[in-house]
Amino acid sequence: MTASIGRGLVLLSLLCASAGAVAAFAAFLKKRADLTTIAVRASYGFALSMFLANVWMVAGLLRNDFSISYVAQVGSTSLPTWVKVVSLWSSLEGSILFWGGVLAIYVAVATWSLTEAHGWAKPAAIGSWLVCATFFAFLIAGPAQPFGTVVDVPTDGPGPNPLLQNHVLMAIHPPFLYGGYVGMTIPFGIALAALITGRLSPTLLGTLRTSMLAPWTFLTVAVVLGGWWAYEVLGWGGYWAWDPVENASLLPWLTGTAAVHSAILTERRGVLKGWTLSLVIASFLLTILGTFMTRSGIFNSVHAFSQSDIGPTILAFLGIATLASVLLLGFRVDLLKPDNELDRGASRDTAFLAQNLLFVLFTFTVLIGTVFPLIVEAVRKVQMSVGRPYFDRMTIPIGALLLFVMGVGPALPWGSSTREELKRRLLPPMGLGFAVLAAALAYGIRTPWTLITLFFAGYTAWVTLFEALRPVRARMKFRTDGFLRAFAQDLFGPGRRRMAAYVTHAGAVAAFIAIAVSSTSGRSLEQSLKQGESMTLGRYNLTFEGIERAEEPNRTSMIARIGVKKDGKDLGPLRPMMNQYMTNREAIGTPAVRTGLVEDLYLSAMNIDEETGTVGLLVLINPLVSWLWIATVIMAIGGLMALFSSARVGQTVEAPRDLQAEPVR
Amino acid sequence: MNKGVFAIGLAVTVPLIGLLLVNIDRDPTSISSPLINKPAPDVRLMELSGGASVQLSSLRGRPAVVNFWATWCIPCIQEHASLTAGARANPDVSFLGVVYEDTAENARGFLAQRGSAYPSYADDDGKGAIAFGVYGVPETFFIDAKGTIVEKYVGPLDGDTLRQKLAMARR
Repeated sequence: MTASIGRGLVLLSLLCASAGAVAAFAAFLKKRADLTTIAVRASYGFALSMFLANVWMVAGLLRNDFSISYVAQVGSTSLPTWVKVVSLWSSLEGSILFWGGVLAIYVAVATWSLTEAHGWAKPAAIGSWLVCATFFAFLIAGPAQPFGTVVDVPTDGPGPNPLLQNHVLMAIHPPFLYGGYVGMTIPFGIALAALITGRLSPTLLGTLRTSMLAPWTFLTVAVVLGGWWAYEVLGWGGYWAWDPVENASLLPWLTGTAAVHSAILTERRGVLKGWTLSLVIASFLLTILGTFMTRSGIFNSVHAFSQSDIGPTILAFLGIATLASVLLLGFRVDLLKPDNELDRGASRDTAFLAQNLLFVLFTFTVLIGTVFPLIVEAVRKVQMSVGRPYFDRMTIPIGALLLFVMGVGPALPWGSSTREELKRRLLPPMGLGFAVLAAALAYGIRTPWTLITLFFAGYTAWVTLFEALRPVRARMKFRTDGFLRAFAQDLFGPGRRRMAAYVTHAGAVAAFIAIAVSSTSGRSLEQSLKQGESMTLGRYNLTFEGIERAEEPNRTSMIARIGVKKDGKDLGPLRPMMNQYMTNREAIGTPAVRTGLVEDLYLSAMNIDEETGTVGLLVLINPLVSWLWIATVIMAIGGLMALFSSARVGQTVEAPRDLQAEPVR
Repeated sequence: MNKGVFAIGLAVTVPLIGLLLVNIDRDPTSISSPLINKPAPDVRLMELSGGASVQLSSLRGRPAVVNFWATWCIPCIQEHASLTAGARANPDVSFLGVVYEDTAENARGFLAQRGSAYPSYADDDGKGAIAFGVYGVPETFFIDAKGTIVEKYVGPLDGDTLRQKLAMARR
């Protein structure tokens, strides 16, 4: 009974989405505003019923209602409440339902944000969103139905995958990832609307930018949270392994970042319209590709859900969406005429273009590395793995160049400039570059790419700070305001969008430094210790003090208590553990990490043997890792500032010309 | 219509989607192991019949094949004949069976019934399997004379594959 209510809600959402899509495109083709109104209502209808279906499932999980097939599959009476709630996205069917729920929220907000000023792009965009919504509602109603009725209702269930119960990040990472992945549907729909109507108006471009920033911010956090989760849970000591599913989350972020930047160029100079739309479309298609990679079971990964038969369905959707996008681009892109020539000198235009090309190159590098094993397998019938060396060799130079462009770009003026001006703008930041380089050499870093990256990081940090505060300094000079007052006026006034960009860049610089140093300057040691024995790594002395046990409703943990001393000073014990879940045979380790601003001490128990009283301990000293987390928070703050800044600043360049243009049908 | 955009779009997307389509039935368990090109874990294993134990590092000097198996595993039964034949044909290679999640009694019965050409070892508490990062059975590791894992094979081995992988371990 309860399952059928869920099924009913999903079917209702499918009905609303499909009917709404038809009404929306009919409204556009026949230019009938009454049909647009119907499409808007259907869009809200989809959102409400899909949202309620999610609420219904969470209620079922909380009530241990094992008559619902998904609850019987992942629920368990022994689970803590938070695990019950997050079980919604712990397995395939539930996570697709959750996708639908996130899409519902996005579609409702996006529909609400469209106004008459968007013209006929409004029904075109709603129609595009609802086609995607129809697909996901269909997926939930059919191939990935979570609301099956269980006839012989069990008294208890197995609980979700223990690896996913192992850390609270499980509650946080997927919602952010979905916020990013699913949210790309909205800019995609707007990009299609621009192609369908043959016009990218300033209003539509503003909406495109805002709708891109929201999922971008979520995805930025999600990609790093995934790394954090791996770092805190998986116990191999790192945060990024170029795992196919990690790459799947990175790919749309790369094109999305490129799109956010090229949209600025489109907005300010009226150029690269088709290119911006292509990047937006690619970001969406890459989220579907990523979904296929995680759900089809053709890649193996800790993230990959159990083999399911929805792979072909998602691939079919990916194929259709790609074909439709390519056709639309091919047939309509020429209608979006540039308003200006692209500046080809040493100007900010060029820097934007270089940034974009580097991001696209990065995307292809990761994409090829991810699917290359499939190519080789298909052609030569042998197994192979591209693995870390390829990714590191290819992406480190691209990353370093991106960092360089992030420094040089904002230092360059818009339009052409004299040689003296270029010198005045480009040379001083090298001071900080050399200072950071000297510090790194003094610290003992000798890896060439790390040194290059750190030099660029210093350069870019200077430019970022200088440019971020440029209007503040101007205010202080011309209005003789104090620094704080000028800063606040800039932050809460028209300068927020500019400030947002530099806050994000500052976060990115910190991330670059953290990645470069942590990935090349760490140290590790693996050793087996008997109770009472000690080992030394760097300034740390570690003593295996004994084994503890902890019993929880859903697991039993064996804990190695390791006394930690740094330079002889007692820092208290760390407790890496092995967890035995009730429902699983293999034990799962949880590393213990002592986080610091300079370095992390990372202990992972490879095995804990109670009988012989030994522990196999992997010890790592990871420098600057916590700065990656801090950097991400800074980038997210920057993204949010940009999201909530006025989208109208700087649009005057394009507006008059575009308003004169004939609307094309 | 912009033919350039159209051509580039198709050139990028069609091969990619085609590739995914071709691979839709790909078996994901056959990924390479992070242990490849790393020294084989130096585990100590007890002989099934309660006889001698072996330290894996003591086998260095000649290539070795470590096969994780169980009596409840159907593909292990399939590959048993190829492995036995392989061990007989390659006396210069140490073959080791490691029983995974099964009792020594079951394993002895299995070998008595089907014959064996190399020793199998018990893996109490699954320590060996954990050290090798075994996902499931059968999984076979090919180790060269220096004790480095050169290849991992997931699933039942046939004679040809075994020869091919052995050639890698001999290099």
